[in-house]
Amino acid sequence: MKRIAFGLRGVVPLLLAATAIVIVWQMVVVITRAEPSLLPAPWSVAKTFAHLVGTGELLIDTGVSLARVVSAWLLSAIVAIPLGLAMGRSRALERIVDPVIELFRPISPLAWIPLAILWFGIGETGKVFIVIIGTFFPILLATVAGVKSIDSVLVHAGQVLGCNTPASLFRKVILPASLPSIVVGLRISFGTGWAAIIAAELVAARSGLGYLISNGMEILRADQVLVGMIMIGVLGVCFDAFFRYLNRRVIWST
Amino acid sequence: MGNSNPSSGKPITIRDVSKIYESKNGDLVEALTPVNMEIAAGEFVVIVGPSGCGKSTLLYMLAGFSKPTDGKISVGADLITGPDIDRGMVFQSYALFPWLSVAGNVEFGLERKGVPKTERRAIALQYLQTVGLQDFVDKQVSELSGGMKQRVAIARAFATEPSIIFMDEPFGALDALTRRFLQKELLRIWQAHKKTVVFITHSVPEAIFLGDRIIVMTARPGNIKSEIRVDLPHPRDTTSDGFRNYERRIYADLDDELVKAFDLEGRAAGA
Ligand SMILES: Nc1ncnc2c1ncn2[C@@H]1O[C@H](COP(=O)(O)OP(=O)(O)OP(=O)(O)O)[C@@H](O)[C@H]1O
Ligand SMILES: [Mg+2]
Repeated sequence: MKRIAFGLRGVVPLLLAATAIVIVWQMVVVITRAEPSLLPAPWSVAKTFAHLVGTGELLIDTGVSLARVVSAWLLSAIVAIPLGLAMGRSRALERIVDPVIELFRPISPLAWIPLAILWFGIGETGKVFIVIIGTFFPILLATVAGVKSIDSVLVHAGQVLGCNTPASLFRKVILPASLPSIVVGLRISFGTGWAAIIAAELVAARSGLGYLISNGMEILRADQVLVGMIMIGVLGVCFDAFFRYLNRRVIWST
Repeated sequence: MGNSNPSSGKPITIRDVSKIYESKNGDLVEALTPVNMEIAAGEFVVIVGPSGCGKSTLLYMLAGFSKPTDGKISVGADLITGPDIDRGMVFQSYALFPWLSVAGNVEFGLERKGVPKTERRAIALQYLQTVGLQDFVDKQVSELSGGMKQRVAIARAFATEPSIIFMDEPFGALDALTRRFLQKELLRIWQAHKKTVVFITHSVPEAIFLGDRIIVMTARPGNIKSEIRVDLPHPRDTTSDGFRNYERRIYADLDDELVKAFDLEGRAAGA
C-alpha cells in the first residue's frame, strides 16, 4: 500500500506536467492557426500514435533503438567498470589513462557520427560505436570516483579479515563499496547513450526511433516526428525511474 | 570454542622500530624514534600518549598496513610483512561494511577462512550473543547506534579467533555510559578467550581499568616514556586508592609530555 502511494507521488507531478504541456500546445495551435503539417494538434498526434502502434512500426523502431543502446551500454560497462576499479586503486594507471580521457571527453559523441559512417557505413556497428563513445566515459568516471571515495579504513578492515590478495579485496570490498557510485554512472550513461542513438539514427539509419523522426521530416509528417519525440521522452522517464528503483532496492545506503 | 589457532601464544617483538613520514610538501616528519617493546602472549597492553605522538603509526605497523622505516616487528619467529587474518583490528570509526547485515559483517572473516555457511552463521550468532546483539542479527548496519556498531566490530574481530587484536581508540567516539559498559564487555571477552590485545586510548582511567601493562609514550617523535604494570585484580574499582595512585603516576608522566607536545605544535604553527 505504502509502495503504491510512493509510486503515485512520483507519477502525479509528471502527469500534471504532461497535461499542462498538452493544454499549452492546443492553445498555440488554436491561437496561431498553425499549419497541421507543421504543428498538428495533440489529438491528431494521438491518432497517429495509435496508428503507428497498430501497424507495429512504433514498437519495432523503439525495440531496434533500445537494442542498440542496451548492447553498446553493456559493452561499455564490461570494459569501463573493471578499468575504473583498477584506475581508482592505482595512481600509476590513473596518471596514464587520465590525460587520454581528458582529451576525448570534451568531444561529443555526436562529433563521432561522420567518422562512424566513414568507417562502418550505416549498419549496426557504427551505431553501437557511437553509443559506446557516449556511455563509456560516464561509467568510467563514476567508477573511479566511487573507488576513490572509499574510506581507507574499510580496505584495512577487509585486509585484517582475510582479503590477502588484490583479487579478493576487489571482489569483497572495493566493488561492493563503490557499487552505489557505479549504479549512478550506469544510469547517467544510459541517458547519454539514449540521446546519442537517436542522433546517430537521425543522420544515418533505416530503422529506429531516430529514423522514424527523420523520415517524418522528409515526408512532411510533423505528427510522425512528434510521435517519435514523445516516445523518446516517455521512455527516458521510465528508464530513470527503473534505475532509481534499482538504486533503492539493490544498493546499500549508509 | 577451543584455542584452535596454531599461531596463538606467540609474543610480539618490536626491535628498534622507527617511522619517518614524508609530508606532502616534502618535509620529513619523524613520528617514532627507535622503539623497543616486548608483548607477551595473552597480555592486555594499553598505550597512552599525547595526540600525534605516533600511537596509530605504531599500531598500523603492528597490523602490517605500513612498514617501519627502520627496525623489525615479529610475532614469534615470523617478521610481519603485511596484514593477516590472525591479527584482528577494531577501529575507532567501526569500519563495518555497510552493504552487509550485522551477521554478514561478523561472518565476513569466517567466510574468508573457508568456514562452511551454516557453521559460519552459528559462530556469528554465538559472538553476537556475547556482545548482546542476538536480536539484531539481520539488521542493516545503518540501523544501529554507535555503541551497537562497535559491539558488532568487536564480535567481528573476535569471531575469526585471531591470536592478537589491535584496538585504536575503539571507544573514543562513544558516550561515557556506553564506554563503561563496553569496557566491561571487552574484559569479559578477553578473559574468556585470552587473546593478546594492544589497545590505544586517551583515557587514563580506561587504561588502568583494562590493562595488564600501560605504556606511556613521549611527545613526537614518539618513544616509550614509562611502562607501568597494573597489579590490581579484575574487576577494578575505579574509586579505590590503588586505582587513584596509578592515575596520579600516569598523569604525572603524561603532563610533562603534553607540555612538550603543545610546545612542538605551537612552534610548528608559528614557523
Ligand atoms: N601518512 C602520513 N603522512 C605524513 N605524516 C603523518 C602521516 N600519518 C601520520 N603522520 C604524522 O605522524 C605523527 C604521528 O601520527 P599518529 O597518527 O601516529 O599519532 P597518534 O599518536 O595516533 O595521534 P592521535 O592520538 O591524535 O590519534 C603526527 O605528527 C602525524 O602528523
Ligand atoms: Mg591515532
